[in-house]
Amino acid sequence: MERPHPGPRRPDAASVVDLAGLLQRVAGGDRAAFRRLYEAQAARLYGVALRITRQPALAADAVHDAFLQVWHHAARFDIARGNAQTWLLTLVRYRALDIVRRRAREAPEQTMPEPIDEAPDPLAQLAGSRDAAALHRCLERLQADRRRLVALAFVEGLSHSEAAERVGMPLGTVKSTIRRSLQSLRTCLESGA
Amino acid sequence: MSDLPPPAEPDDADLLAGEYVLGTLDAAAMASVRGRAATDPALADAIAVWERRLAPLADAVPPVLPPPGLWRRLEQAIAVPPVPANDPAKPSLWRSVRLWQGTTAAALALAAAFAAVALLPGQPAPMRFAALGTPGAAATVAPGYMAKAMPDGTLVVAAVAPAPVPAGREMELWILPPGADRPASLGMLPAAGRSITVASMPATGTHLMISLEPPGGSPTGAPSGPVVYAGVLVTV
Repeated sequence: MERPHPGPRRPDAASVVDLAGLLQRVAGGDRAAFRRLYEAQAARLYGVALRITRQPALAADAVHDAFLQVWHHAARFDIARGNAQTWLLTLVRYRALDIVRRRAREAPEQTMPEPIDEAPDPLAQLAGSRDAAALHRCLERLQADRRRLVALAFVEGLSHSEAAERVGMPLGTVKSTIRRSLQSLRTCLESGA
Repeated sequence: MSDLPPPAEPDDADLLAGEYVLGTLDAAAMASVRGRAATDPALADAIAVWERRLAPLADAVPPVLPPPGLWRRLEQAIAVPPVPANDPAKPSLWRSVRLWQGTTAAALALAAAFAAVALLPGQPAPMRFAALGTPGAAATVAPGYMAKAMPDGTLVVAAVAPAPVPAGREMELWILPPGADRPASLGMLPAAGRSITVASMPATGTHLMISLEPPGGSPTGAPSGPVVYAGVLVTV
């Protein structure tokens, strides 16, 4: 599995160029490129989907659907504007979120399975890209409980109400805390401070 | 309970984009943000910026090997080759779009006819109409649905002469603004039609389509089943 590994040297540049090149070839219908893209990214994306759906079958569906979108719409990816890794991530996250939200709506009495493990500490594990460094710096400025709430929501795909239940805070408090945290992050990331 | 937001100031719109990317919105609010982003480039840009900002949070998630059957599933799913690359901007999905673009002239005439009926004296506000007809059908065939877009962003889709929806399928409504290369879902469409609020009045030339999907909607975020009705909004 040749997952692009955030090594000490130029962690992102090589993999981003490579992924973008693969996407271009996929847009032209190149199956071998599609397979290489899958091999390079499937484990990362399946990990993300599994944290959100918490069920292997649903996570596999999310990754399946996302890669089908890639196959059909790789031409939409704009190298000049976007990061290929981020694009793939968003496709999988939205699919996984759609799946769990739909299930929550259809079977609200069904409780979610237990989380796979505790929320990761976002500060400990952000990889070394420049965007990650900036986010890391700005997360550090949030109070620890806010930081945890943001990371928990993103990684576990929790809705406002699920997050409220998880952290034992009233729904309104969770909503306003998340908004304030996003505001702080935005201010910090925009200022580049 | 819903997270559906009230019409909002720019700052609120940006934070709503942030919440959308973070993933804390419920299903209705997510669909609403998606629908608005399809016609609101500022919101779409805000979403893209938040996606880039927050993406590194996923670095904290350890990779997990997917089940070995997953690649085989994908391989089978892509067994039908995509449309040749001579039209790279509009790949395979738009076969169905091309199919029904041929009916545009008929749809225009129908929309104008319906608009003439609908525009009563003392109703000066400009509105846009589309007849959503069966792709490839003759102009004499009544459209399945009519769409009316109002200046306040209300989009009404009303049943005219729809065919019954096959068992096990549901209709999903899609919007494709001029220049856009992907349609956005406006949610499921009950047989009787429904009224939707979008960020702003969809432009003339905006395509509306109705596709048949599995219950709950397309699994891919784009029309996955046949487009059964389609039309183009015209100003009357």
